[in-house]
Amino acid sequence: MTRNDLITEIEHPPCKLACPILTDVREYVQLIAERRYEEAFATIRKQSPLPRVCGRICTHPCETACKRGQVDEPIAIAALKRFASDGLWRDQYEAALPGKSTGHKVAVVGSGPAGLAAAHDLALLGHGVTIFEALPVLGGMLRVGVPEYRLPKNVVDEEIQAILDLGVEVKTGVRIGEEIKLTDLFEQGYKAVFMGIGAHRDRKLHIAGEDKLEGVVSAVSFLRGVNQAEKPRVGVKVAVIGGGNTAIDSARSALRLGAEGVHIVYRRSREEMPAAKEEIEEAAHEGVQMSYLTSPLEILGRDGKVSALKCIKNELGEPDDSGRRSPKPVPGSEFTFDVDMVIAAIGQAPDSSLVAEEIEVTEKRKRIIVDGPYTLVTTQPGVFAGGDAVTGPATVVEAISAGKRAAISIDSYLRGESPATVESAGPTETERLSSVIIEKTTKFERCVKTSLPADNRVKGFDEVEAVLSEDVAVKEALRCLHCFLGARLDKEKCISCLTCVRVCPLSIPTTSKMGEITIDPIACQACGMCALECPVRAIDISLDHRGEMSQEIEKGMAESHQPDPVIVGFFDLHGNFGSSDVESLKQDYPNILPVMVFGLRKIDTSDILKAFESGADGVFLAGCPPDTDPFAETADRVKRRMTHARTLLDAMGIDGARLEVCDMPEQGIVDKELIDGLIQRIKEAGQARSE
Amino acid sequence: MITLEQKKFQEIEKMTKGYNPLLVLGCETCAAMSFAGGQRQVAELASAIRVARKTTEQKGEVLEDAVARQCEPEFVDLIADKVGGCDAVLSIACGAGVQLLAERFQDKVILPGCNTTFLGVTEELGVWSERCAGCGNCILDKTAGLCPIARCSKQLLNGPCGGSMNGKCEISKEVDCVWQLIIDRLTRLNRLEMLEEIFPVKDWSPAGHGGPRKMVREDLKS
Repeated sequence: MTRNDLITEIEHPPCKLACPILTDVREYVQLIAERRYEEAFATIRKQSPLPRVCGRICTHPCETACKRGQVDEPIAIAALKRFASDGLWRDQYEAALPGKSTGHKVAVVGSGPAGLAAAHDLALLGHGVTIFEALPVLGGMLRVGVPEYRLPKNVVDEEIQAILDLGVEVKTGVRIGEEIKLTDLFEQGYKAVFMGIGAHRDRKLHIAGEDKLEGVVSAVSFLRGVNQAEKPRVGVKVAVIGGGNTAIDSARSALRLGAEGVHIVYRRSREEMPAAKEEIEEAAHEGVQMSYLTSPLEILGRDGKVSALKCIKNELGEPDDSGRRSPKPVPGSEFTFDVDMVIAAIGQAPDSSLVAEEIEVTEKRKRIIVDGPYTLVTTQPGVFAGGDAVTGPATVVEAISAGKRAAISIDSYLRGESPATVESAGPTETERLSSVIIEKTTKFERCVKTSLPADNRVKGFDEVEAVLSEDVAVKEALRCLHCFLGARLDKEKCISCLTCVRVCPLSIPTTSKMGEITIDPIACQACGMCALECPVRAIDISLDHRGEMSQEIEKGMAESHQPDPVIVGFFDLHGNFGSSDVESLKQDYPNILPVMVFGLRKIDTSDILKAFESGADGVFLAGCPPDTDPFAETADRVKRRMTHARTLLDAMGIDGARLEVCDMPEQGIVDKELIDGLIQRIKEAGQARSE
Repeated sequence: MITLEQKKFQEIEKMTKGYNPLLVLGCETCAAMSFAGGQRQVAELASAIRVARKTTEQKGEVLEDAVARQCEPEFVDLIADKVGGCDAVLSIACGAGVQLLAERFQDKVILPGCNTTFLGVTEELGVWSERCAGCGNCILDKTAGLCPIARCSKQLLNGPCGGSMNGKCEISKEVDCVWQLIIDRLTRLNRLEMLEEIFPVKDWSPAGHGGPRKMVREDLKS
């Protein structure tokens, strides 16, 4: 079975599969598009204990996998997550708490994202959790590593508080392995321990001048200082050595603390740089200089202080173990430039020395050894480990994932069950869309995030990026191509009439010569044309399920007790309107029952008749403006279908003029004149007819 | 395929008046492919009848169902119970389907919701045209694969007639002269000499002019 078979079989969208914690990305993007923000937040919160953190600093592998990325640019998923998670509704979120306690106590060592995730999930599983944190503050790298301008501390505090509110206890300033050994924890009644101690020890440069000169600092200690009220002093000209996110964080922080010039010195080229692309761009935008293909040789000093950095230029050779091309020094290319501060950011290792007697760690990088990525069992029974402590520095979402996996493994252990063996699906690869589909798909520009102007940014540590506005977020969510939410063919009902093959604007359904129809569920974008036109109703689509829509109308009509003519209004979600427009529609026209759909294509004559059957006096269809319609080419077909509906209404003795079809205005949800006109016509024709 | 189209709603409304309950029964093969009698049209028509009845204050329940093909007794018999509970069945199948229903449900009123039009092909979605008249004696080998019985307004076997103008039939500028098409195609095939053979007078008895047709396969029948 190939990777693509697997994706098709599981039918998870690529964004979800790419997420280490399997966040249901498509669902919350969809809910944002439908302006159902509370539910969007609940969907995110279900998988992630740190949604607001992830919305800001996640490296979003979901976006890399996003199918829209093959057409133009991926959906701005991380920004949407932040939009959904930063809203006023976040305080109203209530986790489904376990009914009763299991009575087991679990110690979580370290309060970074891995430890917090483990604590959160273990608490929800009914275990009593205590977090032991060596530092006086909680959050691990989220608090002492990531600078404020990317992740405000109040956000970290609030998210941690929500986890503590589940009944998680905390002991700060306790370094396990010092006075309290791991074995002591078991004596204190803890039945299991999770080691999420992160990787807080900088690796050394191993070059001359590193240890003896004032002005050489490690990135971890520098950023720890940056994240305190009392900021560290920085030099006038600063060199940051390394190419990861820590290097970028250090460089951007140094600028904010008054450095006049900051150089990032990285031994390979931009292409191999492990830091997130956006971060590199932001740093350059703020004025950080990049020296690629450069390795430091020696730190030079004067009077015991750093005065210059001697470097050599590299060229790229054969790929190394990591698959990246390895740098080879170019003989005779040595050069020196003046600096008065050097920040070493070439990677971190776990500070595991204190527990190394009790659990085995790797020789070179001191990482805690575990038996597998899903069991996370260390060499000491009852002790589990995950996150940077096991893998070396990685991303926040990978740490959360490790914490969640550990919680499941620990839970099985405490219940005396053998740990669940899960086969890793491996990295995901989105199925390639055909060039025909790419060409036929309507392009919509990705949203532009609002951020502080570069000049203002470097004056302080204010958060650089703003949350998306509602309008921008909804528009962005509407760019989703709906992987696996599209056409589902019931082969038993199919009569091979070929209607789906003929109406699909993207030519996705195909037929064999014997009439067997195939509709690729990942390529389909859920426009709904085939489902609607199918003469035997053999196709349904998950987006705007037909059955649900008619139930919504029946229910809404049953509850409607309006003196005015009752009108069912179908509104295309792709219009440029906001929640306030919907609210004012409901206020101004309480006699209109709004039914929101992803495209008027999905309204059949029978749906209109159903509305009349349920007691409506009129039906109103408001389509989106053509430039926001992802399937504008189907608009004409929709209009002709409505002409058929009107003719039938006339024949039935119900004036066809009771059906109004129009485009929404450029902004807002309805043209009041049109609605008033429809109401007037109905009143004149006599609304009692359909009573 | 057999093509058919739904009758005008007013006609349907009139013929179904007073039947309670009325069953609207679809046929999921040719009728569905003609967008006249599949489940989608069943839902639309049943809903339309209900609304129209409500508007004119008529009582009467309208039920919906469909079978794969109304021209097969086994399929039809599967809905015997539902039919039994109804006053009348509005069949939106071809005439064959309507008649089989009438045969299987002797004491029920069976009504036709469609007009059977012709044997034809789909030119494109929503456009069908006649190709075969079911004359019982195929001559397409002699006419370049184009049928003058189904497609010539006069059913001429030795055409074209004098009404053929610029490739169109004299009855309408929209109708191709099939004899022109035959000549063009035979020219392309380099077989124009085939037209030198004169068709004798056609025997119309296999076309139904010899009375209702029936076909028996001795090797298959029980």
